[in-house]
Amino acid sequence: MPPDNGAFMVAAYIVAAVIVVGYAISLALRIREERRRSGG
Amino acid sequence: MTLRESATRIARAGMVITVLALAGLAAVYVRALRYTPVEMNQGAAQKIFYVHVPAAWSALLAISITGLLSILYLWLKDRRIDLAAAASAEVGVAFACVMLTTGPIWGKPIWGTWWTWDARLTSTLFLFLLFVGYLVLRGVLVDPGIRGRLSAVIGIMGMMLVPFIHLTVYMFRTLHPAPIVLKPSAPSLPGVMLVTLMSSLGVFTLLYIGFMMQRYALGLLREAREEELAHAS
Repeated sequence: MPPDNGAFMVAAYIVAAVIVVGYAISLALRIREERRRSGG
Repeated sequence: MTLRESATRIARAGMVITVLALAGLAAVYVRALRYTPVEMNQGAAQKIFYVHVPAAWSALLAISITGLLSILYLWLKDRRIDLAAAASAEVGVAFACVMLTTGPIWGKPIWGTWWTWDARLTSTLFLFLLFVGYLVLRGVLVDPGIRGRLSAVIGIMGMMLVPFIHLTVYMFRTLHPAPIVLKPSAPSLPGVMLVTLMSSLGVFTLLYIGFMMQRYALGLLREAREEELAHAS
């Protein structure tokens, strides 16, 4: 039987998704803000 | 085409690539969690490998590209190259965050500790902190010429660390596993696991391209606004 450590796997996948999606949202918001500031 | 128009086009293309890559990442998650078998010795925690390794690959790719662009900038003195190097550095730091969080989450159940100060982990953390410093430095320097030159030097130093980090598992006694794909012999991974890993590597590379294009476009938009302000005053 493999060891029971699925919770670590779930935690790692959630952390990775939060960082990647969070960075994608941050980029989109910063570009939108920059275009708004320059009236574009 | 004006600087602003070309930046807007690059931002849109980068957004499309990022959305496609995020959809790909969702597919990789489903494949890794649902359709890739559990490894007998490490259990489900082994599947962390399918996000940790591609994140490490993208981080080191981003930092290597920052270094190459830094060399080009010092040679050609084109500010757009400096902006591209800075964009790649920021994206590299984001991927390094994934690498440096998923690694310890894997280490705890497998090694029995979140962190150990061995050569691979310590040099990777040092590289991450070096590039955080790179971004902080760019934030405090106002003069574009000085900012470009100093950050290019750090970018090149960071790039020089990348092959050293890859080789640390051969040069030092370390807990970190040796490469199972990027090595002289054939990959030592069953086919179904290798397909999952290669899919994830492809998706993370696409994410790097999408992020890089958007971050570069953001730099160009800021540059265009500063130029317009300078012309207006």
